[in-house]
Amino acid sequence: MTHQTLFGLVPFLQLPRSRDAQGDKTSLQETDMTIQTPRIDTPRETRSTILSGFRSLEGWPVSRLIRGAVAGIALVVSGALAAPVQAESLLNVSYDPTRELYREFNEAFSKYWVEQGNEAPEIEVSHGGSGAQARAVVEGLEAQVLTLALGGDIDRVAETGKLPKDWQTKLPHNSSPYTSTIVFLVREGNPKGLNDWGDLLKDGVEVITPNPKTSGGARWNYLAAWAWAEKNGKDPKEFVKALFEHVPVLDTGARGSTTTFVQREIGDVLLAWENEAYLALQEIGEDSFDIVVPSVSILTEPPVALVEGNIRSDEQRKLAEAYLNYLYSPEGQAIAFKNFYRAWDTSAANPEDVARFPKLDLVTIADFGGWEKAQPEHFGDGGTFDQIYVAK
Amino acid sequence: MGRPVVHRSPMPGLGLSMGITFTMLSIVVLLPIGALLLQGVSYGAEGIWATVNRERVWKALYLSFRLSFYAAVFNLIFGVILAWVLARYRFPGHRILDAAVDLPFALPTAVAGIALTALYAPNGFFGASWTHTIAPALNAGLAWPEAALNVLVTGLGFEPWSLQVPPRIAYSTMGIFIALVFVGLPFVARTVQPVIHEIDREVEEASATLGASRLHTLRRVVWPMLLPAALTGFALSLARAVGEYGSVIFIAGNKPLVTEIAPLLIVIQLEEFSYDGAAAIGIAMLVISFAMLLVINLIQVWSRRRIGYV
Repeated sequence: MTHQTLFGLVPFLQLPRSRDAQGDKTSLQETDMTIQTPRIDTPRETRSTILSGFRSLEGWPVSRLIRGAVAGIALVVSGALAAPVQAESLLNVSYDPTRELYREFNEAFSKYWVEQGNEAPEIEVSHGGSGAQARAVVEGLEAQVLTLALGGDIDRVAETGKLPKDWQTKLPHNSSPYTSTIVFLVREGNPKGLNDWGDLLKDGVEVITPNPKTSGGARWNYLAAWAWAEKNGKDPKEFVKALFEHVPVLDTGARGSTTTFVQREIGDVLLAWENEAYLALQEIGEDSFDIVVPSVSILTEPPVALVEGNIRSDEQRKLAEAYLNYLYSPEGQAIAFKNFYRAWDTSAANPEDVARFPKLDLVTIADFGGWEKAQPEHFGDGGTFDQIYVAK
Repeated sequence: MGRPVVHRSPMPGLGLSMGITFTMLSIVVLLPIGALLLQGVSYGAEGIWATVNRERVWKALYLSFRLSFYAAVFNLIFGVILAWVLARYRFPGHRILDAAVDLPFALPTAVAGIALTALYAPNGFFGASWTHTIAPALNAGLAWPEAALNVLVTGLGFEPWSLQVPPRIAYSTMGIFIALVFVGLPFVARTVQPVIHEIDREVEEASATLGASRLHTLRRVVWPMLLPAALTGFALSLARAVGEYGSVIFIAGNKPLVTEIAPLLIVIQLEEFSYDGAAAIGIAMLVISFAMLLVINLIQVWSRRRIGYV
C-alpha cells in the first residue's frame, strides 16, 4: 500500500519509516549525545536549558505545557457549562410553515415582556415536519411550548404524560389562536381551469401534495378532499384514490412540496395551507401563480400547548403562559393575520389582512370524529390512505 | 495454570490495541445494531414477517436493492477507470480532479440531493433537454423494437413489456440511480487507486516482452491484481447506496410502489410512532445486506484461491 489515502492525513504514519531510512548514523549521534549530556532523572518544572556538546535546548518542559493546556481547557469548559442563567429561556417546537410568523411574533413578544418589567427572554423556535417534531419532544427534546400542525401530534406527546390529556380545553378556540384552510395554488391564469376538487381528476392534471404519512399539512389536504367528495355524493374513498393517481411526487413536508411546485415547475396545482399559498405569492410574485378557493375545504386548526413536564421553574411557567396568551392578544392576532392566518380577534389587525380571506364552506376535524378517530382510520397502518397504494 | 488462550505476542501494544478496537467497535457498531435487533426480538418473528410481507414493503426493498446494485456496478466500472487515469497519467488539473473524487464524501447528502434535483428536474439544466428532446426521441426510436418484442412476449403468454423511458429523470427511478451513483463513486476509486500505484510497470512490460497482447496483459496480469480491491470498493459502494436516504429523498418522488425507497418506509413507520415496524424493516434490510456482503466475500475468497493473494 502506498501512503496516499483519504484527506492526506497519513504522512504522519511515514515518520518511523523515514527515521529507519537514516539508519545507523542517527543512533550513533544519539549515543554521542548521551555520553556528553547529564542524565535527567526528574523532569524540571521551570524554564530550563538542556546542554549537549553540539547544541543547547531552552524552553518549558513539555509535561508542564500539557498540564497547563489541560487546565486551561477544563476552565473554559466548566465556565461554559456553568453559565449563569441570567434570562428565562423558552423553546417553542413548531411545524414547517410558521417560520415567518414566529420570527415576527417573538420580536413583538420580547418587547412586550420587557415592557412588563422583565428581563429579555431567550426564545428559540425549532421548525420541521409536525410529526417529526412531536417525536423529538416525545423522545426528550425539552420544549416548553408546542405549536404544531395538528392536534393529533400534540396528543402523541400527551400520551407520554408530559401534558394533560385534556390540553386542548386549556386555551380558547380549541387551543388554536389562529387557523387556516386548504386552498389550491395554480399557475398564472389557471390554464387548466381548476376551480374545485372535482376538476383535479381531469385528464393530464398533475396534483402536488406532500405525503400524508409524513406531513401534517398533507393530512388536512386529504381530509378536505374527502369532505368535498362526501358533500357531493361521491364515494370519498374512490375519490381520494383517483386524486392520488394524479400525484407524481410525494414530498415529505409541506415546504418540500412548495419547492417542487414553484422551483421545479412540476404539476398544475399545489394543495397548500392558505397561509403558505399567500406566502408563496408574496415571495415569488403574484404574476406567476393564482390562488383558487374550492367550494368546500377544512378548517385547519394548528393548536398550541404548554408542556407541563418540561417546565423547570415558576418563572419559566410564567413566561410560557404569557407567551401563549400573547398569541390571543389583539397584537398577537394582528401578527397572525399579517402572516396570512385566519385568526379570531380583528380589533388590532390591518383591515386589508382580514378582508383577504374569502368565506367558504369549512368542515372541521370534529366532523371526522376528532384526531383520535381520524388519525388511525385514515393515516394509520392499513388506513384508508394505505389502501390507495395497494397493487392493482 | 493453563496456557493463555491468546499468546503474548512479542510485538508490543497488542493488549492495548485490542482493547481499543473492541471498545470502539462495541460502542460505534455493535451497540446500535444490538439495539435494533433487541427491538426486533421484542416484536417477535411473526410481527416482523407481518410487517415486511406486504406488497409495498417488498416493492420498496426490491427498488432499493436493485438500484443500489445497478449503481454499484456502474461505480465499479467507472471507478476503476477513474482510478486508473488518476494513478497512471499526469495531466493538467490532475490534483484538482483527484481531490474532487472525495467531494461526495464531504458534501452533505441533502445538498447533493437538492443540487441533483435542480439539475435533473424537467426545468433543470440536464432535465430540460431530456424531457423535451432526448426522451421523446428515444421513445420514438424504441417504439418498433418494443412492438416486435411484445409480439414474442405475448406469444409466450406473458404480460407485454415496456421499453419506454420515463419523461423525467428526477422523480423517477433514473433519478434515484443518479443519486446513488453520486454517493457511491469515491468508494471504488479510492480503494482501487493505491493498488494501481503499487503495480510495477515492469510486470506489464515483462508480459509484453513475453509476447502477450495488450488485452491479454490487461485480462491476465492487471485485472487479477485489481480484482480484490475493486470488489471491496463494490461492496462498500453497494452498502452505502442501500442505506442512503438524505440525497435520494429529494430526487425520488417517493411514490408508493413506484419510487418509494425502503429507508423512507422506515421513516414513515417512525412518523407513526411504530418503532416495531421501523425495526422490522430495518432488520429485513440488515439481513438482505448481510446476505449480499456474504456473497461478495465468497467471491473474494474464490478469486484469491484462483489467482492468489496480491
